[in-house]
Amino acid sequence: MLNNLTRRTLMKGLAATGLAGTLGSRLALAADEPLGITLVIPSPVGDVGWGHALAAGLEPIKAAYGDKVKVTILENIAEGPDADRIMNKTVADGNKFLIAGSFGYQNGALQIARRDPSVTVLHASGFQVAPNFSPFAAKYFQGTYLLGMAAAALSKTGKLGSVSAFAIPELITSINAFTLGAQTVNPDIEVSVVWVNSWFDPAKEQEAAKALIAQKCDVIFSNAQDTPSVIAACEEAGVYAFNLNSSMKKYAEKTYLGCVATDWSPFFKASVEDHLAGTFKGANAFLGVAEKVVEVVDWNPAIPAETMTKIKELETKIANGSFSPFTGPITKADGSEGVAAGATLPDADIIAMNWHVKGVATPLPK
Amino acid sequence: MNAIEFILAGMLAAATPFLLAALGELVVERAGVLNLGVEGLMAFGAVLAFIVVYHGGGHFLGFLAAGIASAALSLIFAFVTLGFRANQVAAGLAIGILGQGLSALFGKTYESLTIKGLPKLSIPGLSEIPVVGGLFTQDVVVWISLAATLGIWVIFAYTKLGLVIRAVGENPKAAHAIGYSVVTVRVLAIAFGGAMAGFAGAYAAVVYTPLWADGMIAGRGWIAIALVVFGTWMTGRIFLGACLFGAVSLMGLAAQATGLDVPSQLLSSLPYLVTIIVLGIISADRRLLKLNGVASLGEPFER
Repeated sequence: MLNNLTRRTLMKGLAATGLAGTLGSRLALAADEPLGITLVIPSPVGDVGWGHALAAGLEPIKAAYGDKVKVTILENIAEGPDADRIMNKTVADGNKFLIAGSFGYQNGALQIARRDPSVTVLHASGFQVAPNFSPFAAKYFQGTYLLGMAAAALSKTGKLGSVSAFAIPELITSINAFTLGAQTVNPDIEVSVVWVNSWFDPAKEQEAAKALIAQKCDVIFSNAQDTPSVIAACEEAGVYAFNLNSSMKKYAEKTYLGCVATDWSPFFKASVEDHLAGTFKGANAFLGVAEKVVEVVDWNPAIPAETMTKIKELETKIANGSFSPFTGPITKADGSEGVAAGATLPDADIIAMNWHVKGVATPLPK
Repeated sequence: MNAIEFILAGMLAAATPFLLAALGELVVERAGVLNLGVEGLMAFGAVLAFIVVYHGGGHFLGFLAAGIASAALSLIFAFVTLGFRANQVAAGLAIGILGQGLSALFGKTYESLTIKGLPKLSIPGLSEIPVVGGLFTQDVVVWISLAATLGIWVIFAYTKLGLVIRAVGENPKAAHAIGYSVVTVRVLAIAFGGAMAGFAGAYAAVVYTPLWADGMIAGRGWIAIALVVFGTWMTGRIFLGACLFGAVSLMGLAAQATGLDVPSQLLSSLPYLVTIIVLGIISADRRLLKLNGVASLGEPFER
């Protein structure tokens, strides 16, 4: 009996000490607990592509802040209720900085931001803004315009092609700027587009590239493919190709035209700084060459020097804001006026673009 | 090369992953077993073939590894459905999910890497015919799968082996009564189906697309299962369905590339529509459908 009592008391005592210990360490940690940063993406991280670019954008933060931040990357998270659950969990675990890396995460991520003002959310390619919720997107079109110039200079057939995922404004804008850039070199150039209607189907993307090559397109724009499917097929067929986000030069040593690379680290770093200082303010972040988020890299040496000089001149002008690819006069594919002579399309209209410029041969799906 | 040449030249290669997987599933279903794990078995075969070829093992070893691995995985399915008479639908789905999970796990460090495919072999003479010539310039796996189609048709139409498999699928009790081991036949059929799914995945990863990316099978296993049903368990119709599906999906892409004014969403759904309609029409005869359908499909066998 006595023995039993003693044991019970002992257990109680132990439990109490244990509890106090845990609580104590929790409280002690709260002051200098590292900032938990979570990146959620729909695809695997991989060596290249969208997910890779976002993950790479966090590296400089790790380097700069060291122990003060704890970065978690959750990959392969399908858009939908599952993503909401996973984002809620990571925030409940104490991660106060969330990067929602796909359009489809918007509603779930916004709910989290509204519920907890101490959380900062960055959301890819959305349109909703809240005090602690910033949508972000890259001005890919600034890069595709420059690559369009290079493509037209290299094309022998006067036909360019694009393998594109879905007909959404971001992708349409990239194709339009590509076409406009090409027209500065060859006004009669024609751009064909194949919409594969899938974010991820390497075999189908490759078939689409081959279909374009069969139609004599000799420069192909791989628009929003996360794998080197299109780039590798073009190298095999001996036609030039370029892509977005991260360089795929190693998959096409000879025919790689260049890459509209995105470097998210300046934006991520500034946002983390603001969050730590308590000064974060949600705003629409539409970032391009000027912000050093978009840069064309790995230019193919086959591009004529004369064209390259022109490209570099325009690149500087885009960087200092004195030139926009969407400067009128621009005619829509249906013949109506897109942008009046001398006018420049504002960012809000570029983000919502739902028409093709004249010169894009494939009709836009409705 | 115009659009028609493009479609004719690419059709057979585009159909091959569907064809190989569907032929395997045909044998499994003819033996009375429904294996819904094809998608995962393909993914598992694909990643193993890719790993072997990437490390210099060559395409032959790659296919071999894929066939053995997927067959082994499908034997787990055989074990639970035949050994413990588990529900075939649930077990098949589980194996499919397992296969996809394993493929993602093994493929983690190979994500987005590329390799060289196989050279195309031409049939002299035939491949020089204008327009249709492209049809006769294919890689060796396409030729082998055509031979496999013919072989499976011959087996079911003319051999005792085919009759035994069908008897086990139609009336396992009777087959058992006359002395055939239903379980043995079914296990072998499942292993064969698994190996074929593995080959199909291997073709996608090391010949057709040659690259590895998690999720690259992108629903092709499910289409293969659908082809077996819409092809009413007949080899010839399954072959026709696979070719039709391949050709129509290429047609959709070619139509867009030529700038045809048809909504791309419609073009993307066309392969499904056309295949269902065509196979629906040719199997509209109810009497024939009943005759071809496998009587004990999906039912566990008990002595």
